Amino acid sequence: MAELVLTDVDKVYDNGFHAVKDLSIEVTDGEFLVLVGPSGCGKTTALRMIAGLEEITDGTISIGGKVVNEVSPRDRNIAMVFQNYALYPHMTVAENIGFGLALRRDPKAEIREKVDKAGRLLDLTSMLSRRPKQLSGGQRQRVAMGRAIVRDAELFLMDEPLSNLDAKLRVQMRAEIASLQQQLGITTVYVTHDQVEAMTMGHRVAVMRLGELQQIAPPQELYDNPDNVFVAGFIGTPPMTLFHADLTVGADGTRLRVGTQDIVLQGDVAAARPFLAAASGGEIIAGIRAEDIYVQEREGFAPLEISVLLSEALGPSVHVNFLLEGTPVDEGRLGSGLASAAENELNRLGQVSGIEGVAAFPPRMNFPVGSRMTAWIDTARLLFFDVESGRALR
Amino acid sequence: MKSTETIPGAPVIPPRPRRSFGKWVRRTGWRHLVAWLAIAFALIPVLWVVSAAFTLRPTISDTNLIPQNPTLENFTTLLNNPDQPYVKWYVNTMLLAAITAVFTVMIAAGAAYAFSRFRFKGRKVGLMFLLLVQMFPQFLALVAIYLIMTQVSDIFPALGLDSLLGLGLIYLGGAMGINAWLIKGFFDTIPMEIDESAKVDGASHGQIFWGVILPLAAPVLAVVGLLSFIFTLNEFIIAKALLQSPDKLTLAVGLQQFIGTKYAENWGPFAAGALLAAIPVVILFLFLQKYIVGGLTQGSVKG
Ligand SMILES: Nc1ncnc2c1ncn2[C@@H]1O[C@H](COP(=O)(O)OP(=O)(O)O)[C@@H](O)[C@H]1O
Ligand SMILES: [Mg+2]
Repeated sequence: MAELVLTDVDKVYDNGFHAVKDLSIEVTDGEFLVLVGPSGCGKTTALRMIAGLEEITDGTISIGGKVVNEVSPRDRNIAMVFQNYALYPHMTVAENIGFGLALRRDPKAEIREKVDKAGRLLDLTSMLSRRPKQLSGGQRQRVAMGRAIVRDAELFLMDEPLSNLDAKLRVQMRAEIASLQQQLGITTVYVTHDQVEAMTMGHRVAVMRLGELQQIAPPQELYDNPDNVFVAGFIGTPPMTLFHADLTVGADGTRLRVGTQDIVLQGDVAAARPFLAAASGGEIIAGIRAEDIYVQEREGFAPLEISVLLSEALGPSVHVNFLLEGTPVDEGRLGSGLASAAENELNRLGQVSGIEGVAAFPPRMNFPVGSRMTAWIDTARLLFFDVESGRALR
Repeated sequence: MKSTETIPGAPVIPPRPRRSFGKWVRRTGWRHLVAWLAIAFALIPVLWVVSAAFTLRPTISDTNLIPQNPTLENFTTLLNNPDQPYVKWYVNTMLLAAITAVFTVMIAAGAAYAFSRFRFKGRKVGLMFLLLVQMFPQFLALVAIYLIMTQVSDIFPALGLDSLLGLGLIYLGGAMGINAWLIKGFFDTIPMEIDESAKVDGASHGQIFWGVILPLAAPVLAVVGLLSFIFTLNEFIIAKALLQSPDKLTLAVGLQQFIGTKYAENWGPFAAGALLAAIPVVILFLFLQKYIVGGLTQGSVKG
């Protein structure tokens, strides 16, 4: 077991593509770090550099205090689970799991013992003599895990290990991997594009975009206090509603003008956000989570006229995709399927301008598509971002 | 016994209309015809040689497909001629073919692994060059090969003219290109992640090659080995040019002498010799068949 430190790591591919830019991350001993970001943001590249499968263009990577830039993968004492499992088709499950140990020339009895133990841990005992092609996707996934855990590696690397499984199995394996990591206490870097996995599995989550690290924080912190507009829009399902607003901080209170409507921040809410004064008179980006929009008025809430685009009754709540008059934010929508569903609906209705947002309303309520309604925003939960840089205003 | 009487009151089931013969021929019959023609095309020459091998003094014009008075006379003649040591040729050829096949597979697989897995300067050029050289039949270089071999004979006779070892080396050189391409094509279908996974598991390049890639490529290796074996067995021109002493000939060269001289008299032993030569190929094929069935890579990745 060991800590992993990346310092200013860069990757420029042979074709000149700058896939990872100045990546610095410290993963402490025994930590489960999730590396998340949209497809193509450089997660796999970063992981492969840690594994030694890809050369590092610049910067240093150290494992357990030892710089490994020039160390070959086989000498890094790491274990890796690939997205497509990469099992050895000509070997049985037991041979697959024990391959690394056999390469080390461990005694046969010891290998068998370790393989059996891993088999029990992963519920593979009855499959040990089968070949990979005789296994289901979930079982193959487990074999890949088994191959990683028998080796007593210092570091686990996993690249989207669940993306080939069906939804139900994914939820199950998510929990299993997280608890396995807990039991073994091995430092782990887990790559995914799925922000639900990111939120549920890791001790900390590192969000990447276009090769750059955006924020690294525990999941709840990331959810509550995103550092920038991208993180705000990327983390959370349904995604945060983000919009442009004109801010005025005056004697009569703090107002956000969205389209033709005003959101007024009450005295104590405004007082708790002194940083807004500096941005007064200009444009800012504001964001609100779906669960912070309500159907009924309460103390400190501000009303907002919205029109319903799409209403999805999920059981515990009803997700309402709505349209709000005003200027939308581009970046907030990246990587969310909901946004595109709403967009389709928008095109169907022929209204292409406005802010699309999502609210999570209580169950068993009816929101007819196309109807207008007043939604209430918990102004204390509003987040603010700089219009230019997209950075959070705090 | 089943009665054919109809039970009164039971619904009458109309007899199934018989398909007409013409329709059957148009639908499926012609396929049978094609199949039988193909079988005949492939088997008649074989049958004919088998028949000739068991017929005393057969002639080309009046050999029956089924021998009239089967005899082993041809085989005894074949095996007991001190001037034409068939058994010696047989051993020569099988050893040469087997060793050449094994080395062809090893060398071509090694080259294919490098071309498939490493990125180095001259990789593309090298691949094209191999293909280009392959386009010219090896015997085009016969004169050059002969001259080179005479010089080699002066320095190192064991590898020169009239040496099976030298002949094997020449076959190896000629077999490289197309086989390396064939095997590389197969290696390319083995996902890179399998190599990388093995690498992370602690395997060296050698261990990946021997322990992971080669077992997975068994089908193509079997094919290449078999083709190389058959090639050596059949090769005549270069062998004829290089080999001289009667006890160093290969089967192709030796048997040709049978029908080159005293044609009519030797036709029977020739057929017998050809028949015996085919046996190892058949055995080899039956043995390799299970490896040639592909699909071994199945199940490694998502399925
Ligand atoms: N071998 C390569 N050569 C050039 N560009 C590459 C190579 N591999 C990946 N890339 C590019 O680098 C970027 C990041 O890739 P990757 O790390 O696989 O992203 P992710 O895993 O986050 O989806 C992508 O835009 C991809 O096209
Ligand atoms: Mg990836």
